[in-house]
Amino acid sequence: MNLSIKQLFGRKPKSSNIAKQRLKLVITQDRVDVDDRFMTRLHHELAEVLAKYFEFSANSVKMNLKQEGNSYILVADFPYTKFHDMSMRR
Amino acid sequence: MGKVIVVTSGKGGVGKTTSTANLGTALALLGKSVVLIDADVGLRNLDIVMGLESRVVYTSMDVIEKQCELNKALVRDRRVDGLMLLAASQKNNKDDMQPEQMKAICDKLRTTYDFTLVDSPAGIERGFRNASAGADEAIVVTTPDVSAIRDADRIIGLLQNVEVEPINLVINRFSPQLVGNGSMMDQADVLDILNIDLIGVVPEDSGVITSTNRGIPLVYEDGSPGAQAYMRIARRLTGQRIPIPDLEQKGLLSSIVNWFTKKK
Ligand SMILES: Nc1ncnc2c1ncn2[C@@H]1O[C@H](COP(=O)(O)OP(=O)(O)OP(=O)(O)O)[C@@H](O)[C@H]1O
Ligand SMILES: [Mg+2]
Repeated sequence: MNLSIKQLFGRKPKSSNIAKQRLKLVITQDRVDVDDRFMTRLHHELAEVLAKYFEFSANSVKMNLKQEGNSYILVADFPYTKFHDMSMRR
Repeated sequence: MGKVIVVTSGKGGVGKTTSTANLGTALALLGKSVVLIDADVGLRNLDIVMGLESRVVYTSMDVIEKQCELNKALVRDRRVDGLMLLAASQKNNKDDMQPEQMKAICDKLRTTYDFTLVDSPAGIERGFRNASAGADEAIVVTTPDVSAIRDADRIIGLLQNVEVEPINLVINRFSPQLVGNGSMMDQADVLDILNIDLIGVVPEDSGVITSTNRGIPLVYEDGSPGAQAYMRIARRLTGQRIPIPDLEQKGLLSSIVNWFTKKK
């Protein structure tokens, strides 16, 4: 009762609202952290495969996960300087 | 072909085992054939919550080690037709089982039973990976508090990575009074954060504790709010379209308060 009157006059925000706001922030951060680790791994593995075919400098590589609505788009730039000649490698 | 559904959570103690026992019994009461798998190797509970602890002879570990046929390891629940339990080994630990071995068990059960519910241990480690290895779908259980919801989000991410679909949410231990006075998040808040489909809301119900004491799942107590909630979820799992009632307690005063606070 006491609490309800306070809420009515907007002095003390509901603790459920505080919980929700805090959760939204922390979960956004959690998702980014998880994505970060995932991206680092993906980056290493992609680079390993692509290095068989192209020459590129590791620091020119850009990888990004973009969110559009409910889906994610992976954008990867691997600017290469040279194509390995596969026929030579055989 | 049946469905294999993993019941999981992230945070411990939010009601996975309670939900597995009650949903399994409810599905059997609806005429479905059901196997419940306890995947909490080393910390088994589902047998005692179901009241079947004295009849367990073999465990999933015996099946994996080929000490016993899968069918022989299933304990039949005599209170209802078509309900079986596959217990977890208490003397082993989670690393003694491989995800592929659990998957093989689920793949076999899927061909004969309408529903296989796998009670997962808490966490994101090996136990969770074993439990979800053979799953087509998932039920994520959470309570409406910050830690459980945060951990649920992590589990949902992991399930999405391995393409378990759909992932349905059960909000457990919901208190209409606390939501009414603004100290507990309501279902809309939880859904807004987790962004998956809600399959049901189970209220805080002291009947859960007494029924667990007796080893008789709550769904046998027709009148209890918890039993009704679990029966509705079971019906939804069988494909029936049943609306999710708003459990929030709307007294006159709290309606007025809500009206004011929503305007801000
Ligand atoms: N709706 C409810 N109302 C009241 N008590 C509940 C409810 N749901 C679960 N409980 C109680 O909460 C406790 C934990 O439940 P349960 O064992 O099902 O959780 P769990 O997620 O399986 O835990 P663990 O992570 O340890 O496996 C039990 O004592 C149970 O009786
Ligand atoms: Mg449990």
